[in-house]
Amino acid sequence: MSAVIEARDLVKTFDADEAPVRAVDHVDLVLEEGETVSVMGPSGCGKSTLLHLLGGLERPDAGEVRLGDRRVDGLSETEWAVLRRRSIGFVFQAFNLVDELTAIENVELPALLLGVPRGRARRNALDLLERLRVAERAGHLPDRLSGGERQRVAVARALVNEPLVVMADEPTGNLDSRATGDILGLFAELRDARQTLLLVTHDARAASIADRLLTMRDGAVVGQTRLDTGTPIERVLAGLVDLGDTA
Amino acid sequence: MISSIRIAARLAARNLRRRPGPALLLLLTLTIATGTLGLGLSVYGSADAAWDRAWKATDGFHVAFDVYHPPDEAGNDAFVRKMQRRARAIAGASGVVAVGGPWTHLYGSIDVAGGREDLTAEIRPPGRYPVDQPLVTSGRWLGSGDGVVLEGGLAATIGAGAGDTVTIQGEPFAVLGVATTVSRGRFPLSRPAQVWVTPQTADRMRDLGMTVEGFELQLRLRDPADASAFVEDHRPAFRSDPNSSAIAFLETWQERRADSHSDIDIVAGTLLAAGILLAILTIATAGVLVAGRMSERIRQVGTLKAVGVTPRQIVLALLLEYGAVAVVATAVGIGIGLLLAPEIANTSVTILGTPQPRLTWMQVAFVGGVALLVVLIGTLRPGFRGVRRSTLSSLASGVRPPRRPGRLSRLASGARLPIPAVLGLRSSWRRPGRLVTNAAGLTFGVAMVVVALALRDSLDLLNTQTAEAGHAASDAAVGALYDQIRAIVLGTALLLVMLGSINAFIVASFAARDGARSHAAIRALGGTPRQTVISLIVSQLGACALAVVLGIPLGLGLWRLMDGGDLPETGVSAVALLLVAVLVPVAFAAVVSVPARRLANRPIAPLLTYE
Repeated sequence: MSAVIEARDLVKTFDADEAPVRAVDHVDLVLEEGETVSVMGPSGCGKSTLLHLLGGLERPDAGEVRLGDRRVDGLSETEWAVLRRRSIGFVFQAFNLVDELTAIENVELPALLLGVPRGRARRNALDLLERLRVAERAGHLPDRLSGGERQRVAVARALVNEPLVVMADEPTGNLDSRATGDILGLFAELRDARQTLLLVTHDARAASIADRLLTMRDGAVVGQTRLDTGTPIERVLAGLVDLGDTA
Repeated sequence: MISSIRIAARLAARNLRRRPGPALLLLLTLTIATGTLGLGLSVYGSADAAWDRAWKATDGFHVAFDVYHPPDEAGNDAFVRKMQRRARAIAGASGVVAVGGPWTHLYGSIDVAGGREDLTAEIRPPGRYPVDQPLVTSGRWLGSGDGVVLEGGLAATIGAGAGDTVTIQGEPFAVLGVATTVSRGRFPLSRPAQVWVTPQTADRMRDLGMTVEGFELQLRLRDPADASAFVEDHRPAFRSDPNSSAIAFLETWQERRADSHSDIDIVAGTLLAAGILLAILTIATAGVLVAGRMSERIRQVGTLKAVGVTPRQIVLALLLEYGAVAVVATAVGIGIGLLLAPEIANTSVTILGTPQPRLTWMQVAFVGGVALLVVLIGTLRPGFRGVRRSTLSSLASGVRPPRRPGRLSRLASGARLPIPAVLGLRSSWRRPGRLVTNAAGLTFGVAMVVVALALRDSLDLLNTQTAEAGHAASDAAVGALYDQIRAIVLGTALLLVMLGSINAFIVASFAARDGARSHAAIRALGGTPRQTVISLIVSQLGACALAVVLGIPLGLGLWRLMDGGDLPETGVSAVALLLVAVLVPVAFAAVVSVPARRLANRPIAPLLTYE
């Protein structure tokens, strides 16, 4: 297996009213091809910032990020944008569908940005919506969809360009338990299909679908363990560190 | 009620302190309108005080009776004799306390730089007169010896003074002095030119071919305020005869004063029209600002309603907030008006002395009323719409969800437009009210630019035409007046375009705010900052396209309505219109690109996180 994403000594500090806050503190991380990794930790521990740094939505203050063989932490905004089209699919807690576009238009958007012909982009988008069981809502605007439907559309959008890695930031944080189950089922299918996945979550149930679990506190990775050994996640978490409000 | 006002005032003060930007923008746009109105009103009355001073100093007439007839035209003699008899009779009418004249007028011509001008020589015996004693500003009044006294405007135009020589009917005449009167407007805008001569000099002028063209009788009444009633009582006896080409008329001092400063009135009228147009456009600015603020503050409104503040108090707070801006704009605008008015009034060629720009309390109230009306119209609709939302929906609110894509934007998708263009069109459909408001403002601006271009072409044509015989100096003065009007129209067009740009900037900024999350999402998917900029520009260009499509024909239509008078008929060249159609959207795109670039440079991660 080869590394899809590799971060070395990553640092990110934010200005705050009283003193600067180090959101990511010398983090090293390797995400292998076909691997599903969950990142857990209490609120404000820096897990979303880490995801943003790895996906080029934020720039690190120090350290190095590699995507495949390429060092990417110094890329310009435009270079990152072009890279994301092909290599990274995002799923957010707030869905972040484009309000003005219908469900199917949202899904085909990354393909169109990549230059895929319209007809093929539309067919791919429809296939994905069917796979994710939301095709009948294809012509609706996001505000007409339920939370679960929106997140399915967002997952379809993340997958449409067959990215190297899908990065999901609290993908179930805004869903009821039934929709959460649906979405986790989707992620489990992706894991089984060996889609590389990086999952940031509070939810132990969500984290449990991963092959490997990283835990963070105060910006640093404080522990990691493999979950593919069949050990229940609660026991894994209890054995790692005190995760405060995450348990 | 008092407590409502107190709460509303506190809310208004807090909002003004917390977010001064929109209030400052409204203040700027409103001040442009109130300043133009204040300027127009200050200029409008600035000549009256100077005229009144000259009127008092010269024992000016209260009622004048004039008869004019073409020289050597048969059939007029009987009518003129009848009018002379009536003039003698009216001089003894009840209420008349002093009589001047009747003064006989000779018609001829005088040489001025660049040509020849029609001339009236008023014959007066040397001495003092109980009515209209012209005020000598240099040299001396008529006395013994040959010579003429020049009316002040004529002396200024030809640059002659006491001791100089002027050429009348091709012969030299000594200038005895220069004098000012209110019985005639100042040359060259008031024609013909006027000199005063003794009967002895008049004989010489007759020998040179000058002919009698009429006379003027001047009366002072016991009370000058009775002038209108006096004229109404006697008008039937002094009507012109339809069978004669001679003209007879009675005129009050108030009418003569109103006609005496036509250039100032035209300039002031143009400024007032510009001010009203600017005020109308400012309504759009206020509306856009308030609507934007309301959508931004909808959650605050919900919170206020949840803790018991009534919708009326919230709207009152909005009104107080922007009412305070209107009061400041009125004060600043009037100050600007009073400051600049002397500069403009001083360019007048009709004013009798130093202009005194002033504003009556009524005029101040008018300017303030316009400012408050602008704020009221701009505030009420979005204000009420904002507070009508249920408290819960306000508390839960984000930005307004988009509408279903319209037929146009669906066509755009089908037409395989680039993605940023499709997104832009979809965004513009999100807030059609703002699009229309924006377009309305810009339409005025484009229309005024077209009018200014037409006026420029027409005046250029006017300048190439040869002056009419006998009108050399007055045509030049009219040309200068038109130049001034052209400058005002062009200035107004620029101000309208500027206001349109401010509106466009505000609307684009709000659109950038409303669409920030969507654009951040698109960038997370691989959209570039450039595509964000293009998308936002396209979303706003619809308003500009609409403004160009409507503004050009509107401007041409306005020009057709304005066309006429002394201006040569002309249209606007197709090239100029094409330039307008191209440059306006380019300039618009440049303005809109500022908030668009700001949006494109915003870090996207904070926009994508869940609140």
